Amino acid sequence: MATLVQVDDLRKEFGNVRALAGVSFSVEAGEWIAIMGPSGSGKTTLINILGGLDMPTSGQAVVDGMDVARLDEAGLTRFRAQKIGFIFQQFHLVPYLTALENVMLAQYFHSTTDEKEARQALERVGLGDRVEHLPGALSGGEQQRVAVARALINHPKLILADEPTGNLDEANEETVIQLFQELHREEHTILMVTHDPAIGNLADRRIEFAHGKLKHILRPTELA
Amino acid sequence: MFWRLLWKLLRGSGGRLAVAILSLVSCAMVVSALLNLEFDIEHKLTQEFRMLGANILVSPRNAQINSSSPAELMSESEVSATVSALKDPAVVAAAPFLYIVANAGKTPVVVAGTKLEELSKLEPAWKIEGDWRSSQEAPTSCLVGRNVARQLQLIVGSPLGLTYLNNNAQFTVAGIVDAGGTEDNQVFVGLAEAQSLATLPGKISVAQLSVSGTSNSISQFAARLSTALPAYEPRPIRQITEAEGDLLSRIRLLIVSMVILILVLTALCVLGTMAALAMERRQDVGLMKALGGSIGRIVTLFMTEVGVLGAAGGFVGAALGVELSRWMGQRVFGTAISSRWEIFPLTIVLMVAVALAGALPLRLLGKVKPAVIFRGE
Repeated sequence: MATLVQVDDLRKEFGNVRALAGVSFSVEAGEWIAIMGPSGSGKTTLINILGGLDMPTSGQAVVDGMDVARLDEAGLTRFRAQKIGFIFQQFHLVPYLTALENVMLAQYFHSTTDEKEARQALERVGLGDRVEHLPGALSGGEQQRVAVARALINHPKLILADEPTGNLDEANEETVIQLFQELHREEHTILMVTHDPAIGNLADRRIEFAHGKLKHILRPTELA
Repeated sequence: MFWRLLWKLLRGSGGRLAVAILSLVSCAMVVSALLNLEFDIEHKLTQEFRMLGANILVSPRNAQINSSSPAELMSESEVSATVSALKDPAVVAAAPFLYIVANAGKTPVVVAGTKLEELSKLEPAWKIEGDWRSSQEAPTSCLVGRNVARQLQLIVGSPLGLTYLNNNAQFTVAGIVDAGGTEDNQVFVGLAEAQSLATLPGKISVAQLSVSGTSNSISQFAARLSTALPAYEPRPIRQITEAEGDLLSRIRLLIVSMVILILVLTALCVLGTMAALAMERRQDVGLMKALGGSIGRIVTLFMTEVGVLGAAGGFVGAALGVELSRWMGQRVFGTAISSRWEIFPLTIVLMVAVALAGALPLRLLGKVKPAVIFRGE
């Protein structure tokens, strides 16, 4: 498999706070990586840098051949639209847009909208009958499934999920995790931040952080 | 998707935007009314100033007014024919006057012979006790100034005998004039009767003209008259024409200042609303940027939203402004101000500009960093 993500000596500082202190690893295309570690260990900072939402202080973060640190504002915008699919813990849906329009919003910023394709994406996550609902009328699990549909609609190279089940009850968590397993079987590349060891065990590898440093890179089989 | 998003933005922020659109409609209404007034003020003011009487005086060259020396008189027919030949629709009234000092009994009085129908057009503001119309129709009717009436103890219907040299004439008082000026000391009779009394057929002392228009156009008309009547001296009555021009300039300055002030205040009001809206939308903008929305595309969306608000506010306000300007015209001038179609698009353009100027906080949303927003800072 080809390397999709290459991180070398990545550092990020917020004033005197060191969020990432020289992190290096690589991710193959089609891999599901679980990023774990205590709060404040730099997991979300890593996701933000890989997604082009934040810039590193130094080091390299190459995604699909593009070094995020070298992109200007316009380049970052294109990078986010074309390469990345984000799924957030807080869902981050636009409250005054329907489920369908939230998915189409990603299409709109990527290129052109295709309502039929957006409906199909929602049907795929089991929300074919909820397309015209506003986020406020959807459960947490349904909102997260809309976010998954939105993340997939532009066929991104890399799916970045920051604790996607962190705000869900057990039943909804199960539904969302099943979706991720499906995506993995379809060979999507997924980097997922999670605190849940059970979810971490579903991934191909676990990258564990502590104090901004990479502590372990483990395969689930190595945990035993 | 752009217009769909725009519609959802407008609906989603209805409460906040209602404040902005209310201020834009109010502003557009007042601005539209003031601009209509500004465009029509010259016409209205000119009409108002015509109430003040003559603004051009035609007299013999180097003559003293009220003199009736034959050498200082003018030909009535020559002046009338020249004024008629110019065929200027701006001439509201042209009244020839022959002034003589006659005796009423033993009391000397200034007698002004004139065309009484022209006098009524020349001096519409005069207060007249009695039947003004009958004095125009009957050749022996006359109008007397209130001071003359008091001095000679005349009332409407009283007989008045006038003597000039060896000639006598009998008149009936048809009205008592309260002009608030020297006219209150005069007796107004028909021009032909005055000429007959003074044995000066076809002669007049002066001609007074009421001409509508600006100070400049009145001066130009006087100049044309001067060319056509080289023996006489037509000249604008400066106190009136200059006062008119001066007042027009002041009112226009006042209107323009008010329009600018209202536009600035409305922009500040919109600014306040948009600042609150911008705070509410930081999260949405952070998300849009995370999804790959460019700054240009996001800001264009918000600016279009504000532009639509401005245009809608301008449209409704301009329509209401037409009614407001009518009401203002009725209250101030007694007639409705005529609306001009060009005010409509001008008001809409001004409101869009004001809304965009007040939308500065939304433009600053382009600087939002998604990571900062998602961290909850």
